[in-house]
Amino acid sequence: MINKMKTGKKLIFLLALMVSFLLVGTASAGIPDPVKQDLLEKGKKVYFKRCVWCHGVEGGGDGPSADRLFTRPRNFIPGTFKIRVTDSGQLPTDNDLIKTVKNGLPGSAMPAWGEFLKEDEIQAVVQFVKSLVQDRDFNDEEDEEVELMEFGSNPWGTTGPYHLGIPQEAIDAGKEIFTKNKCFECHGGEGRGDGNPTMKDDWGFPILAADWQQCWNFRGSRRNHFDPFNVVRTISTGLNGTPMPNFREKITVEDRWKLAAFVNSLCPRKKIDKLTSKPIPDFLISSVYTEGDIVEKIDDPMWQSSDNDPLIIARSEEKAANPRRNYIALAGQITRGKRNFDPKVDNLWVSSRWNKDKGVYYLVEYHLRFLSSDAGFPDAVAIQWPAKLQDLFGAEKPYFIMGDSKKPVDVWRASFMPKDYNSTNAPKEEGYQLDVTVDEFNGRGFDALEPKETEPTVKVVDSIFHQGRVKILFHRALTTDGEMDVQIPPEQFIPISFFQWAGDDKEKDEHMAISTWYYTILEPPLPDSLYYMPPIMAVVFVGLQGWLVWMTKRTRKMYADGKVKRDDLPF
Amino acid sequence: MNKSFLSLILAVAGWAVFHFGLFPIFTPAEPGMLINRYVYFLLFCFYLIIVNVGMKLKPAMALRALYVWMLGFYFYDHILSPHVPWTLFITYMMLWTIGTFLYISQDPVTFREFRAPIVKTIIGEYKLARIVAFSVLPVLVGWATYQSIYPSFAEPVELRTVHPAPPASTKVHGKTYMLEKISNPFRIDEQDNYKDSFPFLDADKQEYMKFVTEGGTIFFQNCHYCHGDQLNGLGMFAHAFNPTPANFIDPGTIAMLQESFLFWRVSKGGPGLPNESTPWSSAMPPWEEHLTTDEIWKVILFEYWYTGWHPRTFDDESAVGE
Repeated sequence: MINKMKTGKKLIFLLALMVSFLLVGTASAGIPDPVKQDLLEKGKKVYFKRCVWCHGVEGGGDGPSADRLFTRPRNFIPGTFKIRVTDSGQLPTDNDLIKTVKNGLPGSAMPAWGEFLKEDEIQAVVQFVKSLVQDRDFNDEEDEEVELMEFGSNPWGTTGPYHLGIPQEAIDAGKEIFTKNKCFECHGGEGRGDGNPTMKDDWGFPILAADWQQCWNFRGSRRNHFDPFNVVRTISTGLNGTPMPNFREKITVEDRWKLAAFVNSLCPRKKIDKLTSKPIPDFLISSVYTEGDIVEKIDDPMWQSSDNDPLIIARSEEKAANPRRNYIALAGQITRGKRNFDPKVDNLWVSSRWNKDKGVYYLVEYHLRFLSSDAGFPDAVAIQWPAKLQDLFGAEKPYFIMGDSKKPVDVWRASFMPKDYNSTNAPKEEGYQLDVTVDEFNGRGFDALEPKETEPTVKVVDSIFHQGRVKILFHRALTTDGEMDVQIPPEQFIPISFFQWAGDDKEKDEHMAISTWYYTILEPPLPDSLYYMPPIMAVVFVGLQGWLVWMTKRTRKMYADGKVKRDDLPF
Repeated sequence: MNKSFLSLILAVAGWAVFHFGLFPIFTPAEPGMLINRYVYFLLFCFYLIIVNVGMKLKPAMALRALYVWMLGFYFYDHILSPHVPWTLFITYMMLWTIGTFLYISQDPVTFREFRAPIVKTIIGEYKLARIVAFSVLPVLVGWATYQSIYPSFAEPVELRTVHPAPPASTKVHGKTYMLEKISNPFRIDEQDNYKDSFPFLDADKQEYMKFVTEGGTIFFQNCHYCHGDQLNGLGMFAHAFNPTPANFIDPGTIAMLQESFLFWRVSKGGPGLPNESTPWSSAMPPWEEHLTTDEIWKVILFEYWYTGWHPRTFDDESAVGE
């Protein structure tokens, strides 16, 4: 709809003019920043060294890297830019483009150039990029117009990095606005972007709605990922070239902030690595010792933990003893065999419980907008262990992609198909049950996998696909009889890693998403001394205090009785 | 005593004003000669001295000692930038504590003055202080014991050799190369002559730039996922891998290596590393599986051209000896 705007531009212009008369003071209209001709020569030099590789010789978004990227690089020729402060369909300001170059577009291949290029180089390259636009004209004062949108300001005065402290009423009000405006139709019932699998951008390439629970991937987050302003801007301006419209007529500025507060409240507060704009992975998965029964139901309170880092948002009383959800970063397997350049999942959340009688449980969760409906390519997720833990010396591990000839791995894989599912279904409140099959195999290299012939030992005890999130609960006894099974010792650091296959993307075998080696440890139960030692130490200290008082008083008495002579210094 | 109390209030209030009001002003993005954190600290010290001397408050010795000690703590914990590692911090604070005691015990009078309130608390002349101190301290001891017994686990630290010694020879695509003997077949000219030439634009005119363009094309189809569009090791997949991908901008990587070393590392990838370089977790592919020998050399050519580094070379003759 936006790319048709060229023909109807005059009409839009008139309309915008009328609207701007109506809304005097809410927005200001003007002409685009013209191309600064004197900077083009310099900008061209920067472009042809740094940008041409993705954006192409003519700026068509068709550089050598383009075909292996999802999201594809921007095609500059139509003058369609996503992150702006101007109205839908309009050209961006210079400042918009400069900020995009400086901060990059998180979640895509566009890096932040602010620390790499000099200020004058960025200024120049932005002018050159503007000169690559062919279908529009930044110098056309008659037909082009830009209207700077009015965003208001943060009504709660919250600050970065985490923007905590927005009142719950505002967030709840935001949720109502979310429902009223049907945002779920694309962004899904819980904001994981799982609403609509059929969307296309203006060039006919498939496009996905943003996953609000991974706000570090918001393209326009300007490296301030939890700032509700980013969302207010997107709601106000829309994203040119995509199905995301603006809501300037439908939602008041005040309500946009509330909606933004709701959207940002969904995003777990994790420490974000400034260099990569991604959460810092939790490299140690602690399995919590659990006295008695471990409930094999994912929705049991025992397995409820928040994705927030407990150091940033303290956990509620009843969840305080629950295992932490550990963030595991995934990347495409681009090392061996058939490589996966555009994985659909880039992280997992893993939590774990154990005890000696029941064995060990790992709950693996991840966001995936759409599951496979092709039984030839089921979705799958797997846990990888060293098969011969006892043979490893020091930090030694098997090769992280399915082991190597000397050091085999033990892989537990759950493949699953959702029941009664179609990716175009409306969001379903209770989620979808999964048909899960578990297979265990040993790897001695990605091309040397051997299914185990021993009795199966790993079970998936519960699973669900709910509002764009898969949850799989793995279970196994600590030890087994299998020669090639990992034997899991308590209180030891054990290497662990993860694989994930998106059936919808036809991922299979080594064409998958992969994590590096993490560690897991079965934490021992809390020692009894924890309960009796502190009081003992406190009582001993009270005794010491009494002794100190007695000694001091005795000295005083000796002075008073004249048994000991005090020095006669003045005081 | 009242004057001591006034001094304490002025010190705490003054600190709050300085810390929350002035400190942000004195720590701008680009500190100047006057507007910097150390000047701020000096100002705060002056404030304390002027208030106490100017108003003739003569705070108790114990309070003065507390000021001195806290100033040291504040300096090392907040002012000194970048923050020193905590082991060093503890060492500094121990020295500072010893210094504070030297200040206290500079003569027997000050020492006794320092001691007086403590003794009065112990024998009960300051009743409230004794009740508070004697009930809070055992609780603190109990809490500290709890904290020290509570089991905590941190991931093990692993060290690895980033640039291991290369082998004498390597076999790529069926051909054996002696690493000391080989050089980049596409380095047909002095790299610096092409500083102001551009890929694609000059690829038709200059053969060298044709090779650079081809190398860059391969890089941006295969390598940028990890090593980054800026060749700084921050590609879109970089955060998922450990060890993190090499940063070619850094003077400690390709700038100090020979091209033949790169040829070996690129061809054999992670699995070709010796054990001290943790071959099991390196995500570097053995590129001989995906690229031809020529393509590998062109990527190497591109990496040096893009970063501006020059590969290390062997000297023809030893400079020492004879």
